[in-house]
Amino acid sequence: MRQKSSSYAREIKRWLSLSLFLVLCLAAVSQTRTVTGKVVDPDARPLANATVSVKGTNTSTSTDTDGAYSINMPANSTVLVFSFVGFQTSEVDVRTNIVVNVTLQLLNNNMNEVVVIGYGTQKRKDVTGSISSVPAKQIEQVPVANLSQALQGRAAGVQIVNNDAAPGGNTSVLIRGIGSLASGGNNPLYVIDGYPTTGGIQNINPNDIASIDVLKDASATAIYGIRAANGVVIVTTKKGTRGKVQVFLDMYLSMQSEPKQYDLLNAFDWATLSNEVEAADSTHTYHGMPIWKTPAQLHSVDWQDAMYRKGLMQNYTVGFRGGSDKVQTAFSFGYFDQKGIVLGSYFKRYSLNLNVDFQPTTWLRSSTSAKYAYQDANVPFGTGSLFQLAVNPPTLDSGNRKTFLIKDGQGNYGFYNPQNSNVFKFNNPVYSVETNDYSNITNYLLASSFLEATLYDGLKLKTNFGVNLSNFTGSYFQPEDNRANLQYPGSIVSSAFYHQNMNNNFEWVWENTLSYDHTFGKHTINFVGGISAQKNTTNLMGAGGTPPNNVVRDLGQVSNLKFDQYGNGQLVSTLASEFARLTYGYNDRYILTGTIRRDGSSRFDTNNKYGVFPSGAIAWKVTNESFMQDVSWLSDLKLRASYGEVGNQNSIGLYQYQALYATGFPSNVNGGGVDNLGYPFNKLYQNGIAQTQPANPDLKWETDVQTDIGIDAALLGGALTFTVDWFKRDSKDFLLTLAAPAQTGYTYITRNVGSMNNKGIEVAINYRATAGKDFNYGIGLTLAHIKNTLTGITSGTNFVTNFGGLGLTGQGWDEFTRSYVGGEVGEFFGYQSLGIFQTKAQIDALNGKAPGGIYWRAATKPGDRYYADINGDNVVNADDRISLGNPQPNVFGGLNFDATYKAWDFNLYFYGVFGNKILNFNESNLESFQKRGSEGVENVSVEYYNNHWTPSRPSNRFARALANDDATGNLLPSSAWIEDGSFVKMKNLMIGYTLPTSWSSKYSISRLRLYVSFQNLFTITKYSGLDPEIGIQGANPTQNGVDNGTYPTSRFYTFGLNLTF
Amino acid sequence: MKKGFKIIFIMAFFSLGIPVACKKSFLETTNTFQGSQEATFNKPADVISLVNAIYDTYQNSDLLKKSIWYWANFETHDFFNWGGDVMWNNYQIPATFGAINTFWTYSYIGIARANAAFGVITKAKDKGVIDQALADRLSGEAYFLRGMTYYYLASSFGGVPLELSAITNGLTPRSSRDSVFKQVVADMQKAESLLLSKSSLPVADLGRATKGAAYAYEGSARMWLKDYQGALAAFNNPELTTKYSLMQNFADVHEYDKQNNNESLFEVQFYKKAGDPQDWSGSWQPPGAELAWIDSFSWPQELTGQGYDYGNPALWLSYQTGDKRKLLTIVGPGDTLASPGIIAKLGGLKGYNQVKQGFNGGNPIYTGDDGKILNTVGTLTRPWYGDDKGRTGYYCSKKWRDPNLTGGNSNEQGQSNLFGDQNQILMRYAEVLLSRAECKVRLNDIPGAMADLKLVRDRAWGGAAPATMQDGANYDGTAAQPITDPLQMVLSEYRHELTGEYSLFYNLCRAGTDVAIAFIKKANGTVDGSYDPIPNPAPGPTHDGQKHGLYNTTLTANRVLMPIPQAAIALNPNLTQNPGY
Repeated sequence: MRQKSSSYAREIKRWLSLSLFLVLCLAAVSQTRTVTGKVVDPDARPLANATVSVKGTNTSTSTDTDGAYSINMPANSTVLVFSFVGFQTSEVDVRTNIVVNVTLQLLNNNMNEVVVIGYGTQKRKDVTGSISSVPAKQIEQVPVANLSQALQGRAAGVQIVNNDAAPGGNTSVLIRGIGSLASGGNNPLYVIDGYPTTGGIQNINPNDIASIDVLKDASATAIYGIRAANGVVIVTTKKGTRGKVQVFLDMYLSMQSEPKQYDLLNAFDWATLSNEVEAADSTHTYHGMPIWKTPAQLHSVDWQDAMYRKGLMQNYTVGFRGGSDKVQTAFSFGYFDQKGIVLGSYFKRYSLNLNVDFQPTTWLRSSTSAKYAYQDANVPFGTGSLFQLAVNPPTLDSGNRKTFLIKDGQGNYGFYNPQNSNVFKFNNPVYSVETNDYSNITNYLLASSFLEATLYDGLKLKTNFGVNLSNFTGSYFQPEDNRANLQYPGSIVSSAFYHQNMNNNFEWVWENTLSYDHTFGKHTINFVGGISAQKNTTNLMGAGGTPPNNVVRDLGQVSNLKFDQYGNGQLVSTLASEFARLTYGYNDRYILTGTIRRDGSSRFDTNNKYGVFPSGAIAWKVTNESFMQDVSWLSDLKLRASYGEVGNQNSIGLYQYQALYATGFPSNVNGGGVDNLGYPFNKLYQNGIAQTQPANPDLKWETDVQTDIGIDAALLGGALTFTVDWFKRDSKDFLLTLAAPAQTGYTYITRNVGSMNNKGIEVAINYRATAGKDFNYGIGLTLAHIKNTLTGITSGTNFVTNFGGLGLTGQGWDEFTRSYVGGEVGEFFGYQSLGIFQTKAQIDALNGKAPGGIYWRAATKPGDRYYADINGDNVVNADDRISLGNPQPNVFGGLNFDATYKAWDFNLYFYGVFGNKILNFNESNLESFQKRGSEGVENVSVEYYNNHWTPSRPSNRFARALANDDATGNLLPSSAWIEDGSFVKMKNLMIGYTLPTSWSSKYSISRLRLYVSFQNLFTITKYSGLDPEIGIQGANPTQNGVDNGTYPTSRFYTFGLNLTF
Repeated sequence: MKKGFKIIFIMAFFSLGIPVACKKSFLETTNTFQGSQEATFNKPADVISLVNAIYDTYQNSDLLKKSIWYWANFETHDFFNWGGDVMWNNYQIPATFGAINTFWTYSYIGIARANAAFGVITKAKDKGVIDQALADRLSGEAYFLRGMTYYYLASSFGGVPLELSAITNGLTPRSSRDSVFKQVVADMQKAESLLLSKSSLPVADLGRATKGAAYAYEGSARMWLKDYQGALAAFNNPELTTKYSLMQNFADVHEYDKQNNNESLFEVQFYKKAGDPQDWSGSWQPPGAELAWIDSFSWPQELTGQGYDYGNPALWLSYQTGDKRKLLTIVGPGDTLASPGIIAKLGGLKGYNQVKQGFNGGNPIYTGDDGKILNTVGTLTRPWYGDDKGRTGYYCSKKWRDPNLTGGNSNEQGQSNLFGDQNQILMRYAEVLLSRAECKVRLNDIPGAMADLKLVRDRAWGGAAPATMQDGANYDGTAAQPITDPLQMVLSEYRHELTGEYSLFYNLCRAGTDVAIAFIKKANGTVDGSYDPIPNPAPGPTHDGQKHGLYNTTLTANRVLMPIPQAAIALNPNLTQNPGY
């Protein structure tokens, strides 16, 4: 990566011409002289091996390990050029100085930065595609477990959704919107130090990152063909440096506060409510437990207090970087340990990263990168389960006869009375978390190595081989629970259970490329072409059963051993590809890029084995035109346009094109149900075999047709840059396992079923300035607006409902979204609530007009919810359900402010989403006295208790309290639970101080920086739930934005240091 | 030296790198996880299993009982529903009725399994996995089952989409009803040429489709097409006339120990492993009657705790004096059970544990009018209306034959045997004879028709049936008139021979929509726009002026077709709904 300078070329040229006279005068007296000085970075760290050259000559030198240099200036030369990888090149007039100290600025605000693109690098100013880059500095600022969390708000148009705040980070990465309805069908391709993988980046230590480049449009991504539709995230880790070996330690310690809690009833109020409901129950079917009749004698339990705790996060990275001219090495060891704020949850990671670069001869070089990580994580009680804390009745009295406490310290855990139908289905999550054993351990190894030969000036041949391994071993053990049965003979005993599963994934990739870079006259050519082969082999197995006792965990000794359905065996997939990219530049004004990739994939049948993905782009560097020479306010302006096709094959599993046959399994695997397929003849059972999946030779990849028009501009001498992109993304033939017309003979079939469209605008603005001598600051803003439209479904219907139910219990909650053709994906769906019926007359009037005499439900009484008759037929039924809003934001983005003042540095970072809706299922729970979806009663919120409708205290917001809501339907999915999900979160506030070198050098420390930071200090939102940052559960866009008790977040208080020797 | 290295590098690059990535077989991976066609069908048993799974779609209570049986019997008002499906009693079946959707869905699952089988069978034969004879038989079974499924679909819904290929997008619109029946004829003709004769079918394969069964359905389909000549030819085929015969004793036709008897042309087979529990925890597997059958559900609530369907006293009244089919079809207050098997094992009703316990406990429900232990299905003074008095007191005894069943109550061993393994006969020779009689009537061969009727009626009387055909009484108890119109004679015999089975309403509709409506109206005295239950108008033990679940809603022309399931329309907008739904 050689640095060239040109963005300020014009200005310098102008400046030079202005001073021409002076130069000429000086020429007569000039002579060779020595200039010395020091080159440092903005944090005043010396830059070793920076290049110092005399402009217009071949004279150059490098700085030493202290950043010092000395160079002889030939006669007539007046300008020194300072350059260093990752920094802005600087030119300094040295006519009057003999000591010149230079501070090089980081590249991130400049068109000169080098961005990593597929199979190569390019200068930002020459890029024709849409690429966002996130430098290491921004990644390091927020302590996160999962690298993708660090990208949130940093790259315009890249939506990082924290699906929940569980340890380890559970995120979805959406680049330019949703292109697929399938679970996991929207994951981008990651290229980690040259290795392409769809596996994500959660196993990479964020401290090892040098930069992340996000390729967004087809021009940039098409070189990755069939895996590129969702964008490409290129991750580059820190390499070794020439010069003295640096040893460094980065560490932080982060305390996490307990999360916000729901305000719930204590035992007294709750029993009082129970008595109120019982008294008002005209059907006399509800009877609370006798002990609830006297609320004062009850003992309260607080499940939220019991399950939430303070969290602790620690991160240590130690390593070294250094090397000679021929070998450079970087090595780091990282340890990350997070104790989550929900009981039992944790995430641990040990990571090793090694990068070795060799350059044995001038024409041959190699680079090897190896990353190992050991990960141990568990969240036994997380998203989807946590709503239990809000609904478990607040008293355990009359349950465990030994204790009414959640746990008494003597080994006794409270349980609910196993014989009372009102509470027997509730359990004690503290007992489960503390007595069950879990293990989820993964070992990752990603290693790749390339050898590159320069055959001729500009002509390079490169071969790159990599392997990617992950080994997962998980187990779950649950001891026999007969505690309730001992005290209440005949009640439930849950038997012991042990389950173990393993998933072993091995993948290799081999890529060979030929590249040629040449400039002749005004023409510049950059070409790269190559071939690639990749093979993935996964072996998995899992089984469980009843162990012989509470100690032995050997699947060979369990009884009732059952293997996981479709969970045992080997899966192999392959990809073989050819690709090429040609960039042609003319006169540094016009750049054309053409890219093509042909991918052969084992996922598809012979007819569709190979996909070809072309793209083209053009860029016009307007400011280089002669007519722009006098426009001084604009230092850089580039217009870009690209168009191309890219593919996606990750929405489906393997062998979906094959006719498949099975015995004893249901034909509708996705729909559940048991069908033995066999049949008896003459009263003897014979086996049956049926097709479980029809042949689908036409099955093919999803195709994204992407258009991008962008502007890159720099103003104020480069201090202010902005990038604006308009894009259109037409995803067609998206792959989905969808309910099939019954006539196919299958309940679900995987097919290319539809098309989707995303249009949007992305803006990234950066301003960097200096105020006074010591104060440097920068402001960065990213914003994106994306409009998603489902444009077609070929299966015949005009909508799809949510797949999977998220386990939402309660009448009607199996369907809560419908994605209609013409609408956005994941629209909430349900009834329109008009408030609460106040009088019988109101109900009678509506019933009077209803054809069958009933407007809504026969049981409807004052205090029940009033739903709108949308279709005007004077009755409310399932046909009156409507779209209730969309979980996808209109706008999202991040605002970053950073500054340095002398030895102090400062960072402030906000993230926000706007215009999205949240379906607050949990609120419906907090307003439900009935245990959702079954017999029993549950806790409610204090707000509901104080405000629910009673004849003497009418409410138009809170329905009456009922022990059974099924007949009245007050809690169905409706607009009552839809809330504005917009928020702005203060994600980070960081203050750092670098100790003066005068002090640190005494201890041979070249740099010591201390910092404190605070995360999630406050959130500005109207959302009434605990946290509006609610994600896409199960990576499935049809169940996005539903608050069903997501793993909560809270404030982090972090102290850290960066130490370099 | 440097140059040498470069050359070696380039050669290594081209010799190793390019061939690997370009090799086509690299992209051909083998599915070792699930069975592809090549992997699965490598021995005869596998190919047989493929065809077995087509039969399997009929082991489904939604399809068999709640769709076909309901349709065949509730639509005629001979039987009614008690429980969740009472809207059937008023012909108010919603397009969202789940069981009809299952009927539709499972029918097409079966059709898809058949369509997929043809290719597999051919390939297996070409590979030498199976021989020509087995390939023929299996293909024949697949054609038969596909044709039979289309027969019930077209008979129930009218025209339905014809799916005849293993690959379809499922968006085919409905064909005309005639086109579907023509397809049935075509499938059955293929089946006739490929299937085994009943006489050559190995015992182990009892229950598989035979040539005779194919001729029976071909004839029935041709009758829907009004091709009575063709139908007659099919019914007269020696495969039917020489290989099947009426059971001498009508009781034996449906007896538990006479399954797969010589009169049976096609029956859906059930099998319960000996010793398997028969209660809710046992043989019952979703999505319904996967291994065992649910006949006990329709027995009286007093006996089983269930009683989900019950009979019309008009049917009981309509049996002509001396007709032995009466108590083997419908029983009411004061009637003893006539099933030889139940009498042999239990001595009749009095042998049921529930009755014994009840009687010993002094419960009058289980006490005869004579003060002894009850041995009749309710007594003349205490009919078995069920605990809500919402049933007529009459029950279907045709499906009350398995002596092992106890319903929801337990036997003396404390076992509740809800689910049994009695096969369900869809087509039997008596129906063929009656259908043939109708063909002859249509073709003006009245003597021939009468001869066929006589075969069936003589068996019903256990000797010589009365020459004059006349119902025992009208629905209101008034005296019935002799039936002299030949077609009406055939229809009356359809009713008395086949009610409580899987064909009566279909056969009436096959004779004509108006014919069916008029016949049912006359038989039950139906009243237009009457939706509420009425008291039994006929004198007798249940003539108490109270309403006991007896409905007299008139059947309308729109209601001779089932609604196309809403769920099917939702996924295939090319489907049009039947009028009136």
